[in-house]
Amino acid sequence: MEETFHMAPVPVDRPAESSPLTPARLGLPHLGFGVGLRPPHYQHILQHAPDVDWFEIISENYMDSQGRPRDVLMQIAGQYPIVMHGVSMSIGSTDPLNHDYLRRLKLLAESVQAEWVSDHLCWTGVAGRNSHDLLPVPLNESTLQHVVERIRIVQDVLERPLVLENPSTYVTFACSSMPEWEFLTRMSEAAHCGLLLDVNNVYVSSVNHDFDPTVYLENVPHERIVQIHLAGHTNMGTYCIDTHDGPVIDPVWSLYRQLHELTGGVSTLLEWDASIPPFPVVHAEVLKAKEHICKQRPVLSMPSSSQSRLREDAIPQPAVMITAEVE
Amino acid sequence: MTKLSPSSNSHSPSLNSPSLEIVQRWMMSVITHPGGITAGLQSDAARNELDVSPAHVEEVIHPSQRCTSLERLAVYGNAYVSRLVECLEAEFPAVRQAVGEAAFHGFAAGYLQQHPPGNYTLNTLGQHFADYLSRSRPQIDSEATQPQWTDFVVELADLERLYAEIFDGPGEEHSSLLSAEDLRAISPDKWSEIRLAVSQALRLRKYRFPVHEFITAVRQGGAAEFPRPQTTWLVVNRRDFIVRRQASPEVQWRLLQQLQQGETLGTAIETAFQGSEEATENLAQQLNIWFRNWTAAGFFRHVLEDSSTSSRHVATRRRN
Repeated sequence: MEETFHMAPVPVDRPAESSPLTPARLGLPHLGFGVGLRPPHYQHILQHAPDVDWFEIISENYMDSQGRPRDVLMQIAGQYPIVMHGVSMSIGSTDPLNHDYLRRLKLLAESVQAEWVSDHLCWTGVAGRNSHDLLPVPLNESTLQHVVERIRIVQDVLERPLVLENPSTYVTFACSSMPEWEFLTRMSEAAHCGLLLDVNNVYVSSVNHDFDPTVYLENVPHERIVQIHLAGHTNMGTYCIDTHDGPVIDPVWSLYRQLHELTGGVSTLLEWDASIPPFPVVHAEVLKAKEHICKQRPVLSMPSSSQSRLREDAIPQPAVMITAEVE
Repeated sequence: MTKLSPSSNSHSPSLNSPSLEIVQRWMMSVITHPGGITAGLQSDAARNELDVSPAHVEEVIHPSQRCTSLERLAVYGNAYVSRLVECLEAEFPAVRQAVGEAAFHGFAAGYLQQHPPGNYTLNTLGQHFADYLSRSRPQIDSEATQPQWTDFVVELADLERLYAEIFDGPGEEHSSLLSAEDLRAISPDKWSEIRLAVSQALRLRKYRFPVHEFITAVRQGGAAEFPRPQTTWLVVNRRDFIVRRQASPEVQWRLLQQLQQGETLGTAIETAFQGSEEATENLAQQLNIWFRNWTAAGFFRHVLEDSSTSSRHVATRRRN
């Protein structure tokens, strides 16, 4: 696939390390710096057409919509590249894949000409029940085989590579037998899928599971990373929760710089899902990424100590729902 | 000490290498238990999958340097209820304000037990909430002649759910709609035989309280007080992707209801006015005003093809 840049090319410190058989980013384009499309920003985007490179949508908020969300999306899709990010594929579940869901997902991808379709390495439910959470899988051989088989099916249905994200997790299983970076590596190579590396999730999980996030980033397959997520989180004192409710903290920016150097640069997106500020604030936050990869010391970033507040009401993402607009 | 459950199912669970399915069924049972993680671990549903006591859960879930296995599992348990209650609060802000936060959380938790989510979309989460509240209310006082506060709460939930369904459901924003001019073009002697296709978004509700006013007050952040009972004939539609509602005189509501059910205009008028004290001396003038307002509000798509006096599809204008 031809590589395209939708705004100023991202500074490349060194070429991506690609294997001879796997082009960087799986050959998918480098879209630049994007923002997660959220309903509070609809009006601003439609009125001001902000100079943002691309938008990522929560697939489930639009795939069944016959109202304003879908109408707004179609208008925005006519002006900006769209990436679809789902939270309900449940690729790791032992329940059968939901082919009706996949059919609807594919239809939406076709209608917005999605650059790619992503979801999470997780399961959301079992036995017909849905937790609407991104639940962790045991990282072992049998899970790996199960997930790879399902990715292949999904890719056959969607007729495009699936891109999977590392979720923030809060438990580890005694029956796991490998680190997450190894699982992602073997999974993506066996299933020929892409990876969405959420550096905030790597940080959150590293705090929760006592591992070195830099080792994680060094060992994931860089040529398969097609997108990076940035977000804020909440420090609960003895662990962190992925809340998407604030600015990115310095340790996460540090991981971002490291991953940029390792990948050679990939599409970068900021998620902000709770206590959502005006659009210019969210856009400015993702544009800080440019400063970081230009090796300019950030002057506006959020020190980690400022998010060290203790909270009891934090809810891990996702909590995705669009509410009705009534006259 | 952990052990294999005597009542273990055919999955042959083993704490050393449980199958993925067993781990998932066990974890789902634990984190969704209404009594919390510890109660969840002790539940039959969980122990039928992995028979591990709270004291030995680290044999399944590793502790971290700063959190016990139970504390780590509790993150998911807390999130399950909190996330779904938050979604219900977003869909039912007026119910929440009417009953108060604590009571709402109680109702929501009970609802989630009876109607655990199974769909991939959260849009269906609240679809049974009004029915649940209706079933959950105390026995109706047979002596009461007036609708009760509990009726008010159920009606609030019903209308808030209706708003959500209309907002994201099918509409007519990209369709041709019937105009007042289209109707005027129909010969007066054929009016009584025509049938009208109504907007896909149009809904008619009869309530015992003016719940629409309470909901609007809550959504606008103003003071909202428990209103006096007042039979309310509500017409709800969507235009330009915004849900619109208006209280209607009963006879107009009944006429719309008849038209929505596919009756001819003549039959609809006759039925709507049955038993009504509404004056009919100036019926033609009244109907003219009503239909002018209704077409402006986008209630009608077109004259139905099978109207006996109108084999043609009446010309309609394209909106926007």
